[in-house]
Amino acid sequence: MTTLLRRYGTLIGFAAIVIFFSVSLPDTFLTARNWLNISQQVSMLTVVAAAMTIVMAMGDFDLSVGSMASLAGVVVATLFVHDFPVWAAVAIALLVGLAGGAINGVLVSLIGILPFIATLATLTVFSGAAFLISGGKTIFGRDIPRSFSDFARNGIPLGTIGDQKLTLPYLTILALAVVAVVWVLMEQTTFGRRLYAIGGNREAARLSGVRIRSLRLVAFSLTGFGAAVAGLMYASRVASANPTQGSGLMLSAIAAVFLGMTMSEEGEPRVLATLIGVLVLGALDNGLTQMSVDSYVRDILVGVIIIAAVASSSLWKRFR
Amino acid sequence: MSLLSLTNVSKTYAGVQALRSVSLAIATGEIHALMGENGAGKSTLIKILAGVVAADTADIAIDGQPATIDGPGDAFAHGLRFIHQELNVVPSLSVAENIFLGRSYPRRLGGLIDWDRLADAARQALRRLGISHIDPRTKMARLGVGDRMLVSISAAFLDSGAGTARLYVMDEPTAALTGEEAERLFTVLREIRKAGRSVLYVSHRLDEVTRLCNRVTVLRDGGVIATKAMAETSQDDIILMMIGRQVNEAYPPPLAPAGNEVALAVRGLQGDGLDPLSFDLRKGEILGIAGLAGAGQSEVLRLLAGADRAHRGRVQLGASEGPPRGLATAWRSGIAYVPRERRSEGLVLTRPISDNITLPHLARFSRGGVFLARRQEQAAARAIGENVRLKARGPRQLCRELSGGNQQKVVFAKALSGRPAVLLLDEPTRGVDVGAKFDIYALIREWSAKGMAVLIASSDFPELLGMCDRILVMRDGAITTILDAEGLSEAALLDHCYGRSRGSVTARAAAG
Repeated sequence: MTTLLRRYGTLIGFAAIVIFFSVSLPDTFLTARNWLNISQQVSMLTVVAAAMTIVMAMGDFDLSVGSMASLAGVVVATLFVHDFPVWAAVAIALLVGLAGGAINGVLVSLIGILPFIATLATLTVFSGAAFLISGGKTIFGRDIPRSFSDFARNGIPLGTIGDQKLTLPYLTILALAVVAVVWVLMEQTTFGRRLYAIGGNREAARLSGVRIRSLRLVAFSLTGFGAAVAGLMYASRVASANPTQGSGLMLSAIAAVFLGMTMSEEGEPRVLATLIGVLVLGALDNGLTQMSVDSYVRDILVGVIIIAAVASSSLWKRFR
Repeated sequence: MSLLSLTNVSKTYAGVQALRSVSLAIATGEIHALMGENGAGKSTLIKILAGVVAADTADIAIDGQPATIDGPGDAFAHGLRFIHQELNVVPSLSVAENIFLGRSYPRRLGGLIDWDRLADAARQALRRLGISHIDPRTKMARLGVGDRMLVSISAAFLDSGAGTARLYVMDEPTAALTGEEAERLFTVLREIRKAGRSVLYVSHRLDEVTRLCNRVTVLRDGGVIATKAMAETSQDDIILMMIGRQVNEAYPPPLAPAGNEVALAVRGLQGDGLDPLSFDLRKGEILGIAGLAGAGQSEVLRLLAGADRAHRGRVQLGASEGPPRGLATAWRSGIAYVPRERRSEGLVLTRPISDNITLPHLARFSRGGVFLARRQEQAAARAIGENVRLKARGPRQLCRELSGGNQQKVVFAKALSGRPAVLLLDEPTRGVDVGAKFDIYALIREWSAKGMAVLIASSDFPELLGMCDRILVMRDGAITTILDAEGLSEAALLDHCYGRSRGSVTARAAAG
């Protein structure tokens, strides 16, 4: 019973949040339309959190994902201003993400700087670069091609309920696709197995012939790439780009991974558990907004929930 | 009246009964041995005494008065002192600071720490154990494992104003000590006994226990088998009580003679702190490495495994010849390595048995080197698990939940599942119970009969003499001689390790 409570505490908390809002907002919360809306709202966070799960499986961190998302958005918008075709601009922005992640990887694995310090430094570097490229201004309007911003507006029609048309947003589909890819990578491949081994005991993994340096390099590159994908999704959704729009993603992504980690016996980050963490944050955000609760109160609540989840899980472990 | 009596101590972990109504009484002024295989419940019992783990039920009496131990502070107040197997030292502090950790430091006027007096007090605490070669101002990080253990022991023997020590609980205190250091510890323990204090002494080393202790309590599967006076029992009796079956011979005989073909040829291999090494390891041969603590035994294995960088020299293994090229290449070319510290180096404890076993060989258990082939992986883990006589619920059980002996069997299964040509073993049976030890010896014999070459570094000389065909003797990072194990005595091997003149070496050790 206590094991159950510890393992599924976060899941039970999630259910409690859903029940609470369903009762408080009987007409609008537990509807297909609202959940499709939530899925779109959290799609960027989902991608960043899934990418964060990769480095956190090794026991590392990437604090630079938020500013990388901003940088990727600014890069793609700037290339649009210079009349690059959509495919080329997107490809270049994604390469920037990969390269930024690789820089983190080199700092952490080859030079041996602690991830906290290395990615804190690149956080300001990427953020500064985003300001420099954009000139500190928001790029929007006609500079952003329709074909780019339409992606976030459209989706697959699911039919109608009453007079409401339901669509599964492309952003949601993309986020789920990223989760699926990360799941396969982490749970079904030798790469993921080795990352979890590094996270469990780095020296034992090394002595078993696991190539720690190159794996960390690759993992950080993938996380940077994921952050860039999220940045492009964001830019598409708001049809604009400014150098700070991704900055909220980093803390929320780490929070989602931590919430998910409380569901694992060994405290390992797992991408499906991370997804639950994202949904907890998303449902909370959506419900509180509908109840017109002040966003500052929301921030406090999110912090309290993270502390409660992680504290209860570590207390259970201590008294086992 | 007993100094400490425990009755009806039970503890269940996640549905598994770790202790079943255990009773134990320790008299005033005795050294009481606590023995049992790994997983028998010794550690749990000690943790309950230390107040680190809460028992489900426990009646504790001290001097006949009922007492409770709800935390480490209670244990300390009752006069219990603990020397744990895993060292609780702060490497970044000095020896003196570690000895006085948690006690009040001597002060000078104005409340500032009197470093000179602190060092003097620490020096005296060390001298009590006859230790003069450790400078109290040295950083703990610069000491070897044996010296760190000596410092921990000195700290436990230091009495402060906070109450008098009455019972010392020591968990494998000699595991990292040389013979001489252990002897000095025994002298101090006997003094303690004379002064009317008691010791609860946990060890796997039978001859230590029989020489030192007054009584012995044997645990098996969480229950007390018996408490006996040492004079009324024998080593064979104790082994029988511990494992519940008779062990006829400690070391199984070879199943096949060693071959003549060279499996591994080492030529001029040199790493940090080592002279250039050259030797041949033949197919089916078991070659031992002996030496005093820190003579370079582990370093030789680490060089060959690719864990440490070789500065120069070459290694020939089968058709491949050249300098060692790192761990991944070594595993792939058929060199398997069982490291010295199984918990910190050998296993990912938070992962299942099967993940650990296949970690060095993942390429073989995948499709295209990318996607995990789980069914193959589970089947292979189950097969090799049976081969090493692993006792577990199944290949998905977490390594953390296994006893020390079974954990070591997982490390062996990991090494063997690649069917290696060369097996490197660093202290393969340290901290392993008698039953698992015998299984491991039988396993080494079985695989060496198939032609695998084995290199064993061990501080357990009877083990080397019982298992090896030849023994490499090392001193100060160099191979001094290679001996035939046949007919070699323990005393003769020790003489070789000391360089034949024991007196001069002792003098040098004392000097610095």
